[in-house]
Amino acid sequence: MSYIIEIKHITKEFKVLNRHEGLKGSLKDLFSRDYRIVRAVDDISMNIAQGEIVGYLGPNGAGKSTTIKMMTGILQPSSGEIVVNGQIPYKNRTRNAKEIGVVFGQRSQLWWSLPLVESFKLLRDIYEVPEAEYRAMLDLYRSLVDIESLLHKPVRQMSLGQRTLSDILAAFLHNPKIVFLDEPTIGLDVSMKAKIRTLIHALNREKQTTVILTTHDMGDVDALCRRIVIIDKGKMLYDNDIEHLKRFFGSYRTLKIRMDGDLQQSAEAIAQQMPEFRVSADTDWISVLVDEEQASVMAVLARLQERYRIRDMQLEEISTEAVIKKIYEEGTQ
Amino acid sequence: MHRGLRFYFCIYRKILAQDLKSKMSYRADFIISTIGMICTNISGFLSFWILFQNFPSVGGWSYYEMLFLYGFSLVAMTPVQCLLDNNWSLRYQVFSGDFVKYCFRPMNLFFYYQSEVFDVKGLGQMVFGIGTLIYAWVHLELACTAWMVLKLVVYLVSASLVMAALQNAAAASCFWIENSFYLLDLVMRFKDYAKYPMTIFNPVFRFVFTFVLPIAFIAYYPSLVILRPEAVPLLSWLSPLIAILLFYLSYKIWMKGAAGYSGTGS
Ligand SMILES: Nc1ncnc2c1ncn2[C@@H]1O[C@H](COP(=O)(O)OP(=O)(O)OP(=O)(O)O)[C@@H](O)[C@H]1O
Ligand SMILES: [Mg+2]
Repeated sequence: MSYIIEIKHITKEFKVLNRHEGLKGSLKDLFSRDYRIVRAVDDISMNIAQGEIVGYLGPNGAGKSTTIKMMTGILQPSSGEIVVNGQIPYKNRTRNAKEIGVVFGQRSQLWWSLPLVESFKLLRDIYEVPEAEYRAMLDLYRSLVDIESLLHKPVRQMSLGQRTLSDILAAFLHNPKIVFLDEPTIGLDVSMKAKIRTLIHALNREKQTTVILTTHDMGDVDALCRRIVIIDKGKMLYDNDIEHLKRFFGSYRTLKIRMDGDLQQSAEAIAQQMPEFRVSADTDWISVLVDEEQASVMAVLARLQERYRIRDMQLEEISTEAVIKKIYEEGTQ
Repeated sequence: MHRGLRFYFCIYRKILAQDLKSKMSYRADFIISTIGMICTNISGFLSFWILFQNFPSVGGWSYYEMLFLYGFSLVAMTPVQCLLDNNWSLRYQVFSGDFVKYCFRPMNLFFYYQSEVFDVKGLGQMVFGIGTLIYAWVHLELACTAWMVLKLVVYLVSASLVMAALQNAAAASCFWIENSFYLLDLVMRFKDYAKYPMTIFNPVFRFVFTFVLPIAFIAYYPSLVILRPEAVPLLSWLSPLIAILLFYLSYKIWMKGAAGYSGTGS
């Protein structure tokens, strides 16, 4: 199988000047050779197939944006190899540019003073998109989001959300093989986030566009990504299906029940009855964290029903948010 | 990827048309900046005129010869002002990280960056300059042969190229230096001296303006070819070649800076 992106053991180091304080210090800096090496990306390898949506996650400063910059060709890896579309991005920056789309959240790439539709037309000419394809793409956009109201608005008059939406549409306009989205939903409200997720999902499905997405919003991940890659301090922590990740942490589910009487007392009683599970209570619910390797949720529920009159119940999957948080905190060891 | 001149020409035309259209929609802004431009030119001309009320000639140059030099430098500066004005915001864009957006388009980065801004005010300056040139030309009783016009055009173009080269190089310094504004500002201030014959400066400055900050090539050396063809230093004749070389160098410097640019961490 051939991949659209192949990354082999890339590392990126930045040389940062150790700055001194004060006026005398800045004079010293002028001639200083006192550098410190920051390793932003440390031996990362991955292969990405055409049509995948990959969530690229990691805490702040993990090295996500740096990796994306290397994939788009504006940064050269210190060592290792990247092949995107059969080319080395850094060496063929302009040629690579034709096959990719890039969105950096909160940083518009559109012509600031032009109405959106004029920006689209310019992009059509720059990327040499045939007229028929351009029209088909606009029709597709119309069917997915309401762009009529945006088309004649200058970009500088748009809200952040409208601008991000426009930028995403612009990135897909020339039907690139890969689209890189670096925090596309940052700073957006719930409904705009949902709109953008639907849009990305539909475009990926329609055009088989490969999407690499970084985000801190697990809602994006749940809505879009089957596969996730997690890095921290430049090092790869995880690369697999999101389902696999949850199982990897034990197949926990939370059973929540409601009953009459004092919940706190009942919870203590249940904890004694089932010492293998963690039991807690708040004002409305008693929660039992069930490890499904040991007993099925149904069996636990049956045992509880023998003793208590259960008035209501809920089942909660462990959230991506919780899993990712756990990984950020303790790694996968 | 190499794309033909036609491609770039076509794209530039379209961006320009759109840009003008949107500028027209801010009418007050447009009118005020046009008035500002006219005032700047008139005051520049006035101070020039007052100077000549007191001195019959400057450095051996007559009033009309000086006027010629003045008009020549105005016209020569027009292309830089109109086409390369975005160089002024380069420093800000590089510093804030916004410059990264220019790096993802499949075309020449220098072209793409400069195409974003076209300064219409420069055109007014050109009208002033051409008017002054013709006025001086008539009073100096210069011949109006094809050879003279050709010389004028060739040397105007080379003067513009020198001007552009200086501005590019000064602007590009922001890829390496944080406080590069002073450099750009300095170069643009010195360009005012381009309006004067180099003979009025002492040898040290003459050397600097020829070899270090070559503003002598903006108006003085090229004008000599037209005004005093019998007593022209070799450098004057060579100025088209020097201009092309300087522009090419400045373009390379600019592109090298841009290629090394990777944005701010984000
Ligand atoms: N141009 C640069 N010069 C020096 N260090 C840099 C540069 N760019 C990034 N870094 C450093 O590299 C590390 C990784 O940065 P990067 O921007 O890739 O993180 P990130 O994963 O995108 O973080 P975030 O989620 O906050 O956007 C950080 O420690 C950052 O300070
Ligand atoms: Mg980032």
